[in-house]
Amino acid sequence: MQIKCKASAGTMQSSDLMVVVEPSDTLQVEIESTVKKQYEHLIRARITSVLGELGVSAGRIQVSDRGALDYAIAARIEAAIRRAAGE
Amino acid sequence: MGVICFDRPELSDARQLVESQGLRFEPHFDDLVGLFEMGQLVACGARSGYALKMLAIAPSHQGTDALGTLVTRLMLSALSAGHDTVFVFTQARNVGSFEALNFRLLVTHGEVALLEHGPGLKEYLASHASLITEGQNGAIVINGNPFTLGHLYLAEFAARQVDRLYLFVVREDVSVFPFAVRFRLAEEATSHLPNVTVLDTSRYAVSAGTFPNYFLKRLDEAAPAQMQIDVRLFAERLAPCFHVASRFAGQETLCPTTAAYNRIMAEVLPAQGIQFVELPRIEAGGLPICATRVRRAFADGDVATLRDLVPPATLRFMKSPPAHELAERLRTDRKEV
Repeated sequence: MQIKCKASAGTMQSSDLMVVVEPSDTLQVEIESTVKKQYEHLIRARITSVLGELGVSAGRIQVSDRGALDYAIAARIEAAIRRAAGE
Repeated sequence: MGVICFDRPELSDARQLVESQGLRFEPHFDDLVGLFEMGQLVACGARSGYALKMLAIAPSHQGTDALGTLVTRLMLSALSAGHDTVFVFTQARNVGSFEALNFRLLVTHGEVALLEHGPGLKEYLASHASLITEGQNGAIVINGNPFTLGHLYLAEFAARQVDRLYLFVVREDVSVFPFAVRFRLAEEATSHLPNVTVLDTSRYAVSAGTFPNYFLKRLDEAAPAQMQIDVRLFAERLAPCFHVASRFAGQETLCPTTAAYNRIMAEVLPAQGIQFVELPRIEAGGLPICATRVRRAFADGDVATLRDLVPPATLRFMKSPPAHELAERLRTDRKEV
């Protein structure tokens, strides 16, 4: 799947995350999280796996997380990517 | 609970809520959102460009996630307006509430604090990393509306005192001369100075986020706090990255805003280990050279006077076709005043 335009998904509410994706030549995943110290590696792993499933190899993905559970992370990432791909 | 956008009748409720929280209601904004419960306004917030403001939550709803709801809506509206990064000026006691939304503290002083959310300062510094050199560097921040012989004198003087001089041009596009023109003229006029690097300030010096009052005709009571924040942000966040040991500015006798800003630099910078150098203005025809004078002569098409006030690069631009429209706008503005 190709990121063709800027798109977002999610909210800034507690236990949720906001995702902004936009086109880029390389793949960049930037994570801000209130639980970054403890869980950044797990958040990144989950994002990487969703990107893999959707076949995304380039794009800038900015995440602002407020302690979302991993299925919420997966869903928000997927929603943002699908919007950015023009689905 | 649902968020709805305001229309007129609810503005007075918003004003009341904002003022009840010790904030000033400012009628200029791009977007204002409110959170209602049983028809009652319980929280509101506004956005002006990339700056969030007037975020107010009724005491009955403090401790809920009202702030998260408001900020979500304002961030989406900021994103669709092209702003990845948003700023918020708030009371120092609210820093924790914003940090819980992944805002990062930029600077705090006394009772006020400035925070941002998004790629922001990190991205700005990363994108300028290749321009940074070690040494005893200097900095000048100018609006350069447009670049004058006064700016050139300041840049030449400063360049001789330091290893590298960073000439920051105010990014905010609210002046007569557009940013792209102000930036290019600063570059062209200083191209003979090998140790001068022209940079844009982005949101981080004299911007609508750090010092909104700069862009108003008159100062209001928030100005001193904004100047403190602006100067401290420079001293604490920009200066260390650019190895800035001295900041230079022209003395100001006419404009009260700039004069007050210089006084705050003189007070704050040395305490942060940065030397502040204020140079007397050079004169032409017995009067100090300043951009206001240049704009007046430009509007009048007074090329003879302009020749004494601006470097060749600026004069060339002023004679070019794109400049005609700007001169016309200056003349129109003058009639309106």
